[in-house]
Amino acid sequence: MRTMQSQSTDLYSEYVRDWKEKGGKVLGYACVATPVEIIEAAGVLPYRIKAFGHPDTELGDAYLARFNCRFCRSCLQLGLEGSYDFLDGLVETNGCDHLRGMFENWQHVKKYDFFHYLKVPHFLREDSLEYFTDELALMRDAVAGFAGTEISDDALREAIDTYDEVNAKLKRLYALREQTPPAVSGTEVMQVLCTGSSMLGRDFSDLLDEVLEEKAKARVTDYKARLMIMGSATDEVDLIADIESTGALIAADALCFGSRSFWTRGGESGDPLALLAERYLGHLFCPRMFNDYERRIEYVLDTARRAGVDGAIITYNKFCDLHGVESVSQRMDLERAGIPVLVLEKDYGSKADTGRVKTRVQAFLERLGK
Amino acid sequence: MAKIEIRQHEGLIDRAYEAFSIIDYLPDDLSDEEMEGVLHVLPGDLARTMEAFLARRIRKTSILFLKRMNDWLKNAHRTKQEGGKAILVPFNFPPEAVYIFEGAWPVTSEVLSTLGVLALEGQGERYWDYAMGLGLPDSSCSANMIEVGSVLTSEDFTPDAIISDCFGSCDINSKTHEFLARYMDIPLLFLEKPVDNTERGVNQYYKYFFKLVEEMEEFLGQKLDEDRMREVLGLANQASELYWELWDLHKFRPCPVPNIFSLMTYGTRFTQWGTQNAVDTMRSMVDVAKQRLEKRDYPADEEVARSLWTYTSYYYDMAGLFNWMEESGITHLGDGLDLVFPSVIDLTSRETMLRGVAEIARNMPMTRQMGASSMSVQWLEDITWAARELDADCCIYCGHHSCKQTWSGASVVRSELMKRERIPTLILQGDSWIRRMTPMSALQEYIEEFVKNVVKRG
Repeated sequence: MRTMQSQSTDLYSEYVRDWKEKGGKVLGYACVATPVEIIEAAGVLPYRIKAFGHPDTELGDAYLARFNCRFCRSCLQLGLEGSYDFLDGLVETNGCDHLRGMFENWQHVKKYDFFHYLKVPHFLREDSLEYFTDELALMRDAVAGFAGTEISDDALREAIDTYDEVNAKLKRLYALREQTPPAVSGTEVMQVLCTGSSMLGRDFSDLLDEVLEEKAKARVTDYKARLMIMGSATDEVDLIADIESTGALIAADALCFGSRSFWTRGGESGDPLALLAERYLGHLFCPRMFNDYERRIEYVLDTARRAGVDGAIITYNKFCDLHGVESVSQRMDLERAGIPVLVLEKDYGSKADTGRVKTRVQAFLERLGK
Repeated sequence: MAKIEIRQHEGLIDRAYEAFSIIDYLPDDLSDEEMEGVLHVLPGDLARTMEAFLARRIRKTSILFLKRMNDWLKNAHRTKQEGGKAILVPFNFPPEAVYIFEGAWPVTSEVLSTLGVLALEGQGERYWDYAMGLGLPDSSCSANMIEVGSVLTSEDFTPDAIISDCFGSCDINSKTHEFLARYMDIPLLFLEKPVDNTERGVNQYYKYFFKLVEEMEEFLGQKLDEDRMREVLGLANQASELYWELWDLHKFRPCPVPNIFSLMTYGTRFTQWGTQNAVDTMRSMVDVAKQRLEKRDYPADEEVARSLWTYTSYYYDMAGLFNWMEESGITHLGDGLDLVFPSVIDLTSRETMLRGVAEIARNMPMTRQMGASSMSVQWLEDITWAARELDADCCIYCGHHSCKQTWSGASVVRSELMKRERIPTLILQGDSWIRRMTPMSALQEYIEEFVKNVVKRG
């Protein structure tokens, strides 16, 4: 866990450096709709792009604008200033307007030899699922060409099995956090997830074994309230730490870097690409998906009930349209279910926001009588 | 919950409907004295709007345009009263795809917001504030949120269904309408454009479009009637031909097409294409432009600059933008919303007609550019093409603060336009529908400085 803590906010971690030094290739992706199994089946390291609350955005602002989400501007900044030069290519998705802009500008400047655009439908229906399955076939061909190898169905199945294993272990980790008293904090879980998002599934699986063993008997006792956090893409370990520093415990989440990246990955198809299409498009609990709110809020309520939370924090980055609008319905439905809510619009990575965030969380805890 | 109270009959659509009904009492043309009299009795915000529309050089066409918009509003009410369905659509959904159904009437979200801003005292601010009171983000798009805010009060005209075809090309637009549908329990139909310009992507779009038509048939309880389709789409074809005639007229120097016709063109396109009213308004605009060309008339001593607006314009002060520019010698050649690329539909059969409408829908503004494989590339290509065609000296990006998708590409588009075409772009910032953010006087200063120091020297 200590190793993980030291690496969890390191973009070019020891693990990635080692991989590169051995001649390994790395593909960057940003959206949770990207089936990393395809990348891993090609023997390439899938790397989820992060900014870890990086506060500078001058270069990002020159291409995007201050009306774009700062998470995307920060990632773009890191891409343009060279921090991501270890990437060998990018996989874009149409996750949201900001993300598309980030990728387009990044590629416009950096001109990677490998740049693949995975087009993800915005709704789930038989025809969109078929389209997405075809998209995955195109992605498989493109990644195979990039890696100079073939991606067989067997290799894909193996990668799918690996991630099933990872997901099962992550659920065990989440159970350790949900129990009373918890064995692991929200900050630690975020660190684990961020570390894992820069690793091969098989290595992450091994690491999770170590974490689970180390944490099995640990206990977190010093907290006032159990909260759930949900909202837009954030890899801000510091944000979770700031919230927990007020005496809250993040006992559950429905974050894009958190449970939404692995919790529900069901599917029945025998064909591996069709299975991946079902797993990703069929369980993409992101507000980008149209006409699917009922399933999303059910997922949120189930999570909140399971973890027995005292309240929920809905957080989103300023200018995030998807989560900004969604937060209104979520707040209403959570409150209707008897779960108090704090809606926390914030500027990604802004240290100037730290005090305000803490004050609002403290006030929320007081509201909860904690 | 929101604290701003909207009482019965205070909704935007209801108020706009009342305000616009005044137009019925106006003759088809007015003398200057009559016009002064009209402006004198109108409330301030509406008087300012009418001042723009009733400028002598465009007065007759403006009155026709406003009367036709009034008809459009009236018919939305009438359709509901007669048991038909009013369907809320975004501007990038072709209204003729609704008119082809008997007893269905398209009400266009952004146009309703604009009419509210144009006609109502206090413009659309109270409805925006109501939406903010519900907790909707202040970075939302006022083009939708003003009208949606009013419907959310439950004290306004409520549509019977919503069609959304913005996801993939505008997150905030699609989320706003999805929210409205859920909050008000209104049926939601949708159409996605895959961000994929390959043949596969285009065919997938057609599939989705045909599925939407099936859903509309089911919702409206009717099968499309081929004769009605032919009639409606025949009128749409006539309007499209007039659109291209007007487009060509823009190419002359000085430009014979009045600035505000840009707004009137897409105001008509987004609401009435497929009706005789659209044909009449388009014809009137063509006639005025032709007369001006013949006389070599231009509202200023000389045409100083020809500007193409790359996305939207500003709509909270028509006189302050369109008329002021023209009187300062700055032509507004149109904006991104004018790039509607209307094609003439083959009326042979149901299939050819539906395919024609699908193709038109695929090329509506925003869908075509922001819903492309690359939003900045397609946008750049379209703007470059338009700038060449219309002989633009410069471009202006209005910088509507909620247009995150265009803000994402604005920098690339500006630099590439300069590199490839030597056309400078002014990037403004503001809210196109809310005057609180950037006053018109400030925008005028920026435009004036840009024209004086960059365009004229270039």
